[in-house]
Amino acid sequence: MSSINNTKSFHLISSQKVSFTFDGKKITGFKGDTIASALLRNNINLVGRSFKYHRPRGIYTCGIEEPNALVQIISEHNEPNARATVKRIYEGMIVESQNRWPSLKMDIGAVNNLLSPIFSAGFYYKTFMGPKGFWKKIYEPIIRKTAGLGKPPKEFRSKSTHHHHNVDVVIVGGGISGLIAALKFIDTNYDVLIIEQDSFLGGTLNNSKKIKEINGLDTIEWIKKTEDLISKSKNIKILKDTTVSSYNYSNHLIALEDKAVGSLPPNYKPELVLHKIRTQHTILANGYIERILSFRNNDLPGVMLAGSFEKFIHRYGVVPETNPIIFTNNSSTFSLLKSLVELNCKPSAYVDNREENSIEKSTLDYLKNNNILFYTGAEVEGCDGRNIIREAFIRHKGNIIKLKTNMLCVSGGINPDVNLFTQSKGLIKWDDNLFTFKPENAFQNTIVIGSASGNFNFQKLNDEIKNKLNFLKGVNDTKIEIISNVENDYNISEIWDIKPEKESLWSKSFIDIQNDVTVKDLRQAITEGFDRIEHLKRFTTNSMGTDQGKISSINSLGIVSKILNKSVEEVGTTIYRPPFAPLSFSAIAGRNTYEFYDPKRKTPIHSWHIDNNAVFEDVGQWKRPWYFKNKKGETMHQAVQRESKQLRESAGILDGSTLGKIEVKGKDALEFMNLMYTNAFTKMKPMTSRYVLMLGEDGMIKDDGIVSKINDQHFIATTTTGGAPKVLADMEEYAQTEWPNLEVYMNSITEQFSTFNISGPKSRAIMRKVFSNIDFSNEKFPFMTFNNFKYLDTEVRIMRASFTGELGYEIYIPPKYALELWKKIFHSGKNLGLVPYGTETMHLLRAEKGYIVVGQDTDGTVTPIDLNLNWMIGKNKKDFIGKRSLSRFDTAREDRKQLVGILPLDKNKKILEGQHILEINKLPKKVETPIEYLGHVTSSYHSPNLKHFVAMALVKGGKKLMGKKVYVSDPSKSETIPVEIVNPVFLDPKNKRLLS
Amino acid sequence: MLIINCPYCGERDQSEFSNGGQAHVARPSDPEKLNDKEWSEYVFVRSNPKGIFFERWVHSHGCRKWFNAVRNTATDEILKIYKLNEKPPSLDEFTNNLKTPSGEPELGSGNFTVKK
Ligand SMILES: [Zn+2]
Repeated sequence: MSSINNTKSFHLISSQKVSFTFDGKKITGFKGDTIASALLRNNINLVGRSFKYHRPRGIYTCGIEEPNALVQIISEHNEPNARATVKRIYEGMIVESQNRWPSLKMDIGAVNNLLSPIFSAGFYYKTFMGPKGFWKKIYEPIIRKTAGLGKPPKEFRSKSTHHHHNVDVVIVGGGISGLIAALKFIDTNYDVLIIEQDSFLGGTLNNSKKIKEINGLDTIEWIKKTEDLISKSKNIKILKDTTVSSYNYSNHLIALEDKAVGSLPPNYKPELVLHKIRTQHTILANGYIERILSFRNNDLPGVMLAGSFEKFIHRYGVVPETNPIIFTNNSSTFSLLKSLVELNCKPSAYVDNREENSIEKSTLDYLKNNNILFYTGAEVEGCDGRNIIREAFIRHKGNIIKLKTNMLCVSGGINPDVNLFTQSKGLIKWDDNLFTFKPENAFQNTIVIGSASGNFNFQKLNDEIKNKLNFLKGVNDTKIEIISNVENDYNISEIWDIKPEKESLWSKSFIDIQNDVTVKDLRQAITEGFDRIEHLKRFTTNSMGTDQGKISSINSLGIVSKILNKSVEEVGTTIYRPPFAPLSFSAIAGRNTYEFYDPKRKTPIHSWHIDNNAVFEDVGQWKRPWYFKNKKGETMHQAVQRESKQLRESAGILDGSTLGKIEVKGKDALEFMNLMYTNAFTKMKPMTSRYVLMLGEDGMIKDDGIVSKINDQHFIATTTTGGAPKVLADMEEYAQTEWPNLEVYMNSITEQFSTFNISGPKSRAIMRKVFSNIDFSNEKFPFMTFNNFKYLDTEVRIMRASFTGELGYEIYIPPKYALELWKKIFHSGKNLGLVPYGTETMHLLRAEKGYIVVGQDTDGTVTPIDLNLNWMIGKNKKDFIGKRSLSRFDTAREDRKQLVGILPLDKNKKILEGQHILEINKLPKKVETPIEYLGHVTSSYHSPNLKHFVAMALVKGGKKLMGKKVYVSDPSKSETIPVEIVNPVFLDPKNKRLLS
Repeated sequence: MLIINCPYCGERDQSEFSNGGQAHVARPSDPEKLNDKEWSEYVFVRSNPKGIFFERWVHSHGCRKWFNAVRNTATDEILKIYKLNEKPPSLDEFTNNLKTPSGEPELGSGNFTVKK
């Protein structure tokens, strides 16, 4: 085989040389070349190994529909499955072939081809059923190694952004139809966006010489002139290198722009741009796709679609082979024949499936005049070769004629690219003359023009577009005169697959080249009962590759219709789903990565925490100190034991600024709060606080916190750190949807106040030192009261409350003053043993006291009654959210899981969270029947103050089991730990410390 | 991605809104008067039709107002949007020719070709 440069049609290629590497080998092409055109220019046709059978594969097409020539682009963050027929080369580009090992020419996985009888349709489902454990350990690793396409990149690296457009008209496709449509909008009041997948306009005009001239101009001149006119029109914008990948409801289109075309963009610029487009009208001018024919070994390198072969000649100036065989069933291939002859490259044979009387006279005359060997009413039965086609077998009038060749150009007809139209939920209709689906009824404001609508006749194009856009007011009239080089009417004979002359393990007739699905697989699947097209697709994986079967999905419908003896519209199509072409995840992510996706929220004290060796814990988006490392080498356990002990001996301070805070105001605030929470607020005195619970309508605990009542019209509620947004949203929802008659307003004030919790026996002394003018005595400042005080030029709210069980205070201060006050408290507490503590110590201390944490001791299936919190329920209230559910038969059951304390009988034993509570003391060696369990441990900590583990658990009917001996499982042993069920308040049950 | 016409702010992208499920399921005014079955129907049971559906939305990344919408769940068409205090439209206002639950609308579900 010998490729030559087509110097006659060199318009899209510059003479500037560009080199890149393919599998480590240096390849030189021209600027403007795609990887595929550069490889063909260098006589390289073997570019990959197939998905399942590892068969050698070459370049099959010249565009976005490519099933075979998929490569990995190492220089673009290892982007896998890039189409070599689309991606343009640049200096220094590094490209590798995929799915071959150890090398492309010598591939060990190719043995799969000889094992193909076991790889038939549904083989994954049938073969890997057992024995147990084999899938994970044996089958999956082997399949992963030998099947598949490119390797996923190890790191997320590529940079992309999102652009938004709001326009009146989108024209998808800047080919001849799209350009004629665009001319209608020049200098009108419409905002127009033209989206072109190539780096240049003109579409099929660049692919062939089917059209001689438009309006007296050579086609290339006409494209230039038209682009110039469009560019000067201020209301029209052109996006090139941009592919529309989805067409969603409400005329919403997603398009991907590749910025790494012809060169890598500079480091500070995006490599991919995802365009999100809203439009009033969508004009689909996205053209047609040529399809294959299924015959024996139609996947061999050297077999190429005829239209693509011609595209290489005219777009890239490379003639992949000087004397190919052409095999067609339609009139579109004539221009390839002509293009070759005009370059003095004579096809070695022209095989037309149509009978002589159906073939255009001009074609027959041309073949005869140029003395080209041709067969009519004939077909290529198959071809042979190893890494490249060597001979083709032509069936003509019952004879098989063997011809030597290096390339075979195939055309199975063309069909409108209906992918986007069907994504938009439009209806398509089968055309019995063109043997294809055509757009029929649009569901949205969609106008389909040109070959995308099934109009393959250039002469009718201008009238078609005129008629279809007429309803838009103020569009321009266009006069387009087209002189063709070929017959205007498209003509085709029906043929889908060709019966093979001989059978062997090697000989396969493919329907989906990318996924290695054969015609035989389709037949077998139908025999096995998968005769519905959606079932058939999944069972055989037909058209499920990255190319979505663009060149063959219609063929499979044709083949299936023949097997089932039904019409194609009865067979129907599978749903066309977005994306039309593969969409990189990084493009979808855009700028929403890392801190832009998940911001880190820090309290005003954050810098102090860092200076004091805090180890942080993520609570929602917040960074909270988990514990403070006192000295080098201190472990978390040591730190938490130290903090917990010191707090109960002297005092500790916690940064509680992340707590959610919601302000509720209004004439009916009291009634609203009574409905939202279980607690009764009516008799509560102003300037006092209460521990509160919020339930769902199902009676389960949703959140807890402290509500402070300033007066009946003004409350401040705290929420858990993670629950704040949801609690506010729920309040708003009920206020608007259920009780619109209540005059009440709510607002998040989480970030308006920093919060510190100071607790421990010395906390009163420290507070007195910091706020010397405030009386902190029990009489003047009792438990669960609060007040506002002047502080510098602002106000602080101080509340007597505690989550540790010790005497404690909560300080609320505007964040601007927070760090300064925090430092002042430290300075004052230094000699009194004040210790900073983190969330882990907070959890330990509250567990000693038997206080629950929502989300740890509850899980959405726990009622206040289950937690012995009956005292928090305002029983005299007529209603509150979830009240009725508390008396439902299921919530009122006495054997529900209830909160209890767990005390190990052997005080040295360790109890782990999440472990099961069991009635039996020993687990059997081999578990044969499920072991009944009573519940699970929700919280467990080693108490430095009690010197043993304290744990809480949810246990079936736990309230009645006080004092009973049960067992806790241990994940490392079959031994269980004997424990006693006790009251969960382990420390200070009489609240002496709390109220001191 | 739908365009939703917030009755307070105007047309906005769907990503600014949250769906609140079926509309017009009023919270019983006196829950204690209901038996367990009646109450649990309010708490747990919602309809999920293919076709015309009256549902609630909230403009959560906007004005935070709740409102109602009538949507065809088979095609995603939003047929009507109205405020909470407005009278809900009657079902007869909309053509609902779906053969639910397994039927498909003739146009809009994307699954069908024109039959002769
Ligand atoms: Zn709004």
